[in-house]
Amino acid sequence: MSIRTQSLTKTYGTTEALHGVDLDIEPGGIIGLLGPNGAGKTTLVEVLEGLRTPTSGEVSVMGFDPTREGIALRQHIGAQLQATHIPDDLTPFEVLRLFASFYERSVPVEDVLERVNLKGKARELARNLSGGQKQRLGIGMALIHDPALLIFDEPTAGLDPAARRQLHEIILNLKERGRTILFTTHYIEEAEKLCDRVVILNRGQVVADGTPLELVRSSEGQSTIFIDVDGPFDPAPLLAVGAEQQEGRGSHYRFTASDSTAVIVALGEVLRTQPVTLTDMNMRRPTLEDFYLEMVDDPEAAELDSERESGATSREPAASAAEMCKEER
Amino acid sequence: MIAIRGTLELSRAYLLKTIRSPSALIWTLLFPQVWLILFALIFRNLPGGMSARMPGLFTITAFSGAFFGVAYSLVTEREQGILRRIRVTPATATMVVIGNAVRSLVTVAASLFMQGFIARLALDVDFGPAVWRVAVVLTFGVWAFVPLGLIMGSAAKDMRSAPAIGNLIFFPMVFMSGAALPLQMLPGWLQGFGRMLPTTYLVQALEGVMVRGEGLSQQGLPLAVMLTSGFIAFGLNSLLFRWESTQPLGAKRIGTALAGLMLLYVIVVLVT
Repeated sequence: MSIRTQSLTKTYGTTEALHGVDLDIEPGGIIGLLGPNGAGKTTLVEVLEGLRTPTSGEVSVMGFDPTREGIALRQHIGAQLQATHIPDDLTPFEVLRLFASFYERSVPVEDVLERVNLKGKARELARNLSGGQKQRLGIGMALIHDPALLIFDEPTAGLDPAARRQLHEIILNLKERGRTILFTTHYIEEAEKLCDRVVILNRGQVVADGTPLELVRSSEGQSTIFIDVDGPFDPAPLLAVGAEQQEGRGSHYRFTASDSTAVIVALGEVLRTQPVTLTDMNMRRPTLEDFYLEMVDDPEAAELDSERESGATSREPAASAAEMCKEER
Repeated sequence: MIAIRGTLELSRAYLLKTIRSPSALIWTLLFPQVWLILFALIFRNLPGGMSARMPGLFTITAFSGAFFGVAYSLVTEREQGILRRIRVTPATATMVVIGNAVRSLVTVAASLFMQGFIARLALDVDFGPAVWRVAVVLTFGVWAFVPLGLIMGSAAKDMRSAPAIGNLIFFPMVFMSGAALPLQMLPGWLQGFGRMLPTTYLVQALEGVMVRGEGLSQQGLPLAVMLTSGFIAFGLNSLLFRWESTQPLGAKRIGTALAGLMLLYVIVVLVT
């Protein structure tokens, strides 16, 4: 087991950042950690990295207790923090050489530079790198000892689409090499595209856990069916199987339905029995985003959480920024 | 093995950062020469000339370089999150502290060498019968000062508060130790206070080897005080070191650290 948490809680003063989190992550694959600001994603990741001490519950990462065996654990995990934190006056080569010296074994710096597409920038000062290049260097710093488990906290935040795609390729490449990658993100489509498994946190609790397909299938969201017909059309058979007509102008119709399959079957029956011809049809199924929005708080509540978080470093509740580290000494 | 390799690489990285930072170079190498010019203008024509004031100037250079250099570096790295990033590797606080200390030793040695070289050539300063004794005494001084900078670097929350705290320590260290002004110019009670400052002992030892031409064996007390002070301060640093500015120090830790350091000097004052 790469990661196991049982009844994990973490409180900062009176704020409960994590509330009874149970998580089992087997080796291999990409696991996305989703949730609104304030859901506890960063706290969870930092507990796994040994940067925060849990208030109660059990945590095991690669067989180590992150609190008591942090230094030994860090030989086996690679971490990328929310912000890049790279010494500006050093080159990527020098940064990687420095970080390589902290580990019992490391891969050649040149190999890592190639893996994160920074070979051409190896001798440039970090301050001259673009945001995407700095993020890739951050990933390279996590890869320098070729760890089995990688934990990335919002690796693609603030990047343009091209830079994000480059990082996606690096993450997918890591998966192909048999690594386990746990990463937090606010981009739902990113999680849908990359992840073998998605865990959704809300208010410090795991509210959903499964493959993107499983989660979408369990969505209570409705499919939307767009139909264009030629000729007199009576939608009664569709309504009879639960479809709701949202729009009907001329030959254009729009229905929503929980059971889209029943509506399609009913539409087939309509086409067979009524003097109409189907000229066009489109269907939009619920997405992971629909499911996500069902599972997390409404945006206004999330916004409040976001404001609360933004006052503290590492996006922890601002009111308890001092409290949160008391026990980290 | 990892600890040694990591510490050496950290020292190397810190030195590279210093070399590549124009402001660090100005502060480290150029600024001490401004002090040299000022001292020459003020003291050159007084009895003993610059040779008599050189121990004080060396003390100021060693203290400002070791103290501020290491403190500001630590605060900046904490503010920028670089220490936090290092924290998620197997690197330890000791490695970071020693890496910083080594960088400081090298840069202070460079600035002292440059200052001494110019003073000898341009101002005909006399370093006493053996320059190596001066180097040994200065090493003891830097050993005592670097951990004080590390403590300050841990105590200051950010770069807004660091200069204020730093100056609060710097000026008494310089003005009450006989480094900036001859100790005889100070009232008696202030001279007594000066005996509780590590800078006083560096001035004393340097005056011994440079001005009075004494050997190292005659500097036993000041050297012992600086050596012990360095050990205690390094030990206290482990109490105060923090990776992130959100980690509170706690009054108990600060109190223990200050009490530990004060105790040494109170004992020295009582014994002498």
